[in-house]
Amino acid sequence: MNDRVSAQENEQDQNTPEGPLSGYRVLDFGWVLAGALPGMILADMGAEVLKVETHQRMDYMRLGRPIVGDEPDPEQHPLFHNVNRGKLSITLNTTKPEAVELAKKLVAHCDVVIENFSPGVMDRIGLGYEVLSAIKPGIVMASISSNGQSGPLRDLRAYAPSIGALAGLDSTLGYDGERPLGLKHAYADISGALHSVFAVVSALRQCKQTGQGQYIDLSMLRATVATMGAGLMEYEMTGRVMGTKGNHDPVMAPYGNYPCQGEDAWVSIAVRTDEEWRGLTEGMDNPPWCDEEKFASRYSRLENRRELDDKLAEWTRQRPPEDITELLQSHGVAAIPVMGAEDRLFNPHFRARGLYSDIEHPSLGAEPIYNIMWNLERTPPSIRRHAPLMGEHNGQIFGGLLGVAEREIAQLEEEQVLW
Amino acid sequence: MTYSLLQGLRVVELGESVSAPYCAKLLADMGAEVIKMERPGVGDQAREYGPFPGDEPHHERSGLFLYLNANKQGVTLDLETPTGREILGDLLAQSQVFVHNLHPKEMDRLSVDYEHLSKHNEQLVMASITPFGLTGPYRNYKAYDINLAAAGGICEGLGSPDREPLTFGTPQVGYFAAMAAASSIVIALLAGSGQHIDIAEVEAMAGIYNGPEALMAVYQWRMTRRTGHHALDFPYPNCILRCKDGYIFVGSPEGRQWKKFLEIMGDPEWAKEPRFRNRTTMNNEYADEVDGYVEEWLLKHTKAELLDLALEHRVPLAPVRNFDEVRNDESLADQFVAVDRSDTGPISFAGPPYKLPGQAVSPPRPAPFLGQHNADIYCERLGYTKEELVKLYQTGII
Repeated sequence: MNDRVSAQENEQDQNTPEGPLSGYRVLDFGWVLAGALPGMILADMGAEVLKVETHQRMDYMRLGRPIVGDEPDPEQHPLFHNVNRGKLSITLNTTKPEAVELAKKLVAHCDVVIENFSPGVMDRIGLGYEVLSAIKPGIVMASISSNGQSGPLRDLRAYAPSIGALAGLDSTLGYDGERPLGLKHAYADISGALHSVFAVVSALRQCKQTGQGQYIDLSMLRATVATMGAGLMEYEMTGRVMGTKGNHDPVMAPYGNYPCQGEDAWVSIAVRTDEEWRGLTEGMDNPPWCDEEKFASRYSRLENRRELDDKLAEWTRQRPPEDITELLQSHGVAAIPVMGAEDRLFNPHFRARGLYSDIEHPSLGAEPIYNIMWNLERTPPSIRRHAPLMGEHNGQIFGGLLGVAEREIAQLEEEQVLW
Repeated sequence: MTYSLLQGLRVVELGESVSAPYCAKLLADMGAEVIKMERPGVGDQAREYGPFPGDEPHHERSGLFLYLNANKQGVTLDLETPTGREILGDLLAQSQVFVHNLHPKEMDRLSVDYEHLSKHNEQLVMASITPFGLTGPYRNYKAYDINLAAAGGICEGLGSPDREPLTFGTPQVGYFAAMAAASSIVIALLAGSGQHIDIAEVEAMAGIYNGPEALMAVYQWRMTRRTGHHALDFPYPNCILRCKDGYIFVGSPEGRQWKKFLEIMGDPEWAKEPRFRNRTTMNNEYADEVDGYVEEWLLKHTKAELLDLALEHRVPLAPVRNFDEVRNDESLADQFVAVDRSDTGPISFAGPPYKLPGQAVSPPRPAPFLGQHNADIYCERLGYTKEELVKLYQTGII
């Protein structure tokens, strides 16, 4: 079985162009979301990414209700299939000293180590940066955590929504003057992961030029704070604290999501310049209210934005969002429907761009998996393989890379070292 | 705060607003030398965005601009003229990276594209950040942050079911596109190949942020819907609730966390009802009712008290902090950097989110005045004489 799978893989490899990071190897202890994403991106870019897992404490993203059948199955989670594609999976139970030794041997063959355990865990199991850089001085190690490796919030139990709250992000999300709402997605995880990828590749460049390794302490809270630009500056410059304000923009009106014909159908429209305003009025076939003085300048449109929103909504309500989009864009106005997942999956633009690839997974068949869409035109990223089955590559890595004999691997599995 | 990982890297930025400027800021904060190019007389539109110190507007004092453009040198250049485009070419011949966010139509009109620009430097790494990318039917569509959030999947899930979908409180999409572009640039440099990188802002959301939604939808899993301050199909609690002096995020994905949280609340009777045994049912069917019970207790406690309880008992409570509380959090003090300028006095803003032990750190330099480094770059770097510089100024090229 293993032979057949790896033969298929080799075939797949031949058809996929080498990525820009081909030749780099990553030891990826990252799990759940923030920790899994950097390795996923590096794998799409051509690095060989070894996802280190253990049955001792399974990646949360392997848990959850099964798609097929009634029994829990670690190979069926749609999020896992997305954010771990392209990786190879090895199992190492680091509560066993032999497993820690094997991890160290692997580090000697790697360029990058990624982890997002609670702060201090890597040191405790004997795989801290000091140890790893003694094995390989050029190693780049990224530790991703909620609130950093030191400081008073270090040990706070925090998830993505906690960080959105602590960073000030949530304080601005909500209807004008009403209660703050959280985002549905893990903003802080993704911001943290993206900032760490940038730090990792920057450190790899330094290593290429000087041979020097680097430790990276990435706090998801700090990553989220780093992009709070205008909100934080408002306090810095004026002492005012921004709160919830709906879809209001400080310099643009109209600016919002407007109701359309159809069930829960909406179109986003934003107008900045006078030229765009003229485009909008022409697109609407010059209704008389557009000529009123209160909508005549950028300033007066901002002043009277609520009334403007109501007038515009009367017009949008009679049309489907796609028609409005096409009409207004042809007049140079920024408009696009509010889209859901299926809208994007079947949208002609995203299809033409290749937002999704069908990737065959052994458990569930062909699945639409998103591409990262960082289009390096000469060395494009690509999804190199489906998300690995747990421990799928123990033979290939411990046998092939470290030269551990087949029967010894079997024994280590038996002893729950490779577990 | 400036690190030195990218020391020696020369970058030219032609950026407006957030996306290309934040990309170049990431590079600059890592030690790259960034030259920011602006339109003569007008400059980056972030200069009009504000906020302004003491609410006195001035195009050199916009908070958004000062934050996004620290550590850069600034020149002005009119790309509408052949001479301006020639100067851009000369500058790129001496640089490794060019990042811009001109709209595709503007790229066509001004011939700012890889084919033309790489003639000056065949190893050039060029990143184009555009709303919908350089290919596909929406290539020429226009978009601002709310449009990108709408198409990218943010709005769909933010708000109440019977009201309009919401977007971010401050523009955010540009930051995600910037991170994609900055990493892609360094990756291209690592691969050692000059090339063009096409980054669509909308895909920074539709891809890495919301990408997995499609497969979730295929399996009818946790579809993103506007469900107010609650999210469907999570174990209760996973929401923002009121407390004595504001709001607090309350979560408890693990059973033991919920148990501990009940214990802190004094093991209330209501929690013992059989209909609350399954916390996902509690969330999907009784959330509003349970909010009332939990808030009754939360309203007796301040954000600070609740944060202390969270740290002591390892339960996931987190205050919804306003920007003054974020700025004044002592544990974040070393992320904020201050620059001093003669006209504004010291201004602080957020620096890089990573700590890089062992790296030489240099203090930040303030964002450039419009055209501040024209003489440094055009004369000292490109070899124009002072007379020529004056002529370039008088004819509106710079």
